Amino acid sequence: MFDIIIRSAMQRKVRTILTISGIALGIFALVVMGAMSENFNQTFDKSMSLTSDKVRVFAESGMFGAGLTNDKVSDVKRVPGVKDAYGMLMMTFDDDQFGMSGKQVIGVAPEKSAKILYPVELKSGRFLEAGDTYQTVIGTSIAGEYDLQVGSKLELHEKNFTVVGELEYTGSFYDSTAAIPLDTAQDVYNVGDTLSVILTAPEDGTDVELLAKMIELNVKGTSTLSPTELQEEAGQSLLILSVITISSALLAAIIGGLSVMNTMLMSVTERTREFGVLKAMGAETKDILMITLGESALMGIVGGVFGIGAGGVAVYLLNSWLETKGIILFTITPRLLLVAMLFAIVIGMIAGLYPAYRATRMSPMEALRHG
Amino acid sequence: MDDVPILEVKNLSKTYFQGKIPVTAVHDVTFSISKGELVAIMGPSGSGKSTLLALIGCLETTDTGTIIINGIDVTDVPEKRLPRIRREELGFVFQHFNLLSTLTALGNVELAMRFSHVPKQQRLERAEMLLKNLGMGVRLHHRPTELSGGEQQRVSIARAMANSPAVILADEPTGEVDSATRDVIIETFKEMRSHGQTIIVVTHDPVVAEHCDRVIHIIDGTLKK
Ligand SMILES: Nc1ncnc2c1ncn2[C@@H]1O[C@H](COP(=O)(O)OP(=O)(O)OP(=O)(O)O)[C@@H](O)[C@H]1O
Ligand SMILES: [Mg+2]
Repeated sequence: MFDIIIRSAMQRKVRTILTISGIALGIFALVVMGAMSENFNQTFDKSMSLTSDKVRVFAESGMFGAGLTNDKVSDVKRVPGVKDAYGMLMMTFDDDQFGMSGKQVIGVAPEKSAKILYPVELKSGRFLEAGDTYQTVIGTSIAGEYDLQVGSKLELHEKNFTVVGELEYTGSFYDSTAAIPLDTAQDVYNVGDTLSVILTAPEDGTDVELLAKMIELNVKGTSTLSPTELQEEAGQSLLILSVITISSALLAAIIGGLSVMNTMLMSVTERTREFGVLKAMGAETKDILMITLGESALMGIVGGVFGIGAGGVAVYLLNSWLETKGIILFTITPRLLLVAMLFAIVIGMIAGLYPAYRATRMSPMEALRHG
Repeated sequence: MDDVPILEVKNLSKTYFQGKIPVTAVHDVTFSISKGELVAIMGPSGSGKSTLLALIGCLETTDTGTIIINGIDVTDVPEKRLPRIRREELGFVFQHFNLLSTLTALGNVELAMRFSHVPKQQRLERAEMLLKNLGMGVRLHHRPTELSGGEQQRVSIARAMANSPAVILADEPTGEVDSATRDVIIETFKEMRSHGQTIIVVTHDPVVAEHCDRVIHIIDGTLKK
């Protein structure tokens, strides 16, 4: 039956091409949006796995609220079960972009920078050391975007810093991070002894969730986020993001499906007589279904292939363009490709169901009298 | 002639509704046809000829009466089995040929055997043989649009014969062809009859009827004796 399907589709070339384009466009959107969502997911997963062992301590009034200062670090350290605690100041990288670029500056105690950044390794140079002031260790994205090596100068908040180390690529937020000594950071950004967060490493075998509660109780004016809480909180906003991107892409694909349905309804109506002839020749219901559903599934498959191809090319081009800016925004995963292809086929089939049903329902004589 | 007729029609009736108005297209028709007969059905326009043929051909459901084809009471067969009866016991030739425009002559004839799952090689061989017998050997790979009316009708006759049906039903097969082609079609039918093929031809053309063994006259849905 395959040749009949192909011939029928080829007979109405323009219409078939338009319909396939509709599907392809939808799948294209699905692939690009999906790749974005996959990238967020992966970055998030990696970021989580790199910091999953630490409890985050914030000011009670929130991350940017006042009240979290250097002296709270020693308070936190005194809580039983705490192995070590590191104060950290987090600022946006570009003063004028309100953090939209996703890059950040972190201020950390220089002698502890290796521990704080653990398990991220160095690609070249060294970590910050005691006595460092206007020195910085940078992630790969920043190094790439500003073309920096160890020894290069980097301007942060109108001050020049010397790059002393570059981190390994991690696929996490560390890639777009510049670490500088905490004192220098508090100076440069003029925030006194304020901290954004205290990262707390628990003693081995400590119940992290319990420890988080203990810190809140023992250190006044703090609230904590345990790894699980962080995961839940961040996971939720990530989920919303996924839902928004994926559903807009789904919408595009469904519109593609409607165009298939429209095309198939027209095609089935035009071919009423042909179906009458096929039935007179003894075609079974399943033969008619095969011909009609086959055609719409084929349009789905071809549209899917083109959509995935175009989406892949677009993602590749966007990524290589963004790479020069040190950002990677899209990740195409096998599961994304699988979902996109299945979706294309399913949309094609579902869109073909009603037209196919109509074709099987016509009485042969009625169909033969038609047109 | 055989004692057992290949086609038996008993008290057959069919009423259509045009809106709420009932139109009895076929009323209490009874006749039988033996194997190898070439029978014409004649009657004025609207007398129910096409309807009668559609009922025999299982393309339309009957209201009352029975149709027995090759020993099978097709009015008493579940709908699911009808496709099989259509392809095994029946062959159709239409006034407007009704060939699939996307397929070649060979493809159209071969298509008829696909539904009965004949292997491809066998299908192609038989289709080629049938077309050659009808003088279409040099037109095997032409599309319907590249064929004359007479040639198209021969393709559709080959298609009707593809599955060696018990009965071939032809509804005004000469309605759209010139008299020379009509004569070819008549000769073809007579040739098929000589091989034992049963054929029922609906026609308005007395010349066609002349060559038939028998003429069944129908007026207002009933047989005229
Ligand atoms: N599907 C239908 N719905 C309603 N009425 C129908 C239908 N099919 C046929 N009829 C009516 O049944 C009657 C017989 O029609 P039929 O087509 O069998 O005539 P015919 O003898 O083949 O005529 P012609 O020589 O013009 O082909 C006509 O009055 C026609 O209008
Ligand atoms: Mg008629």
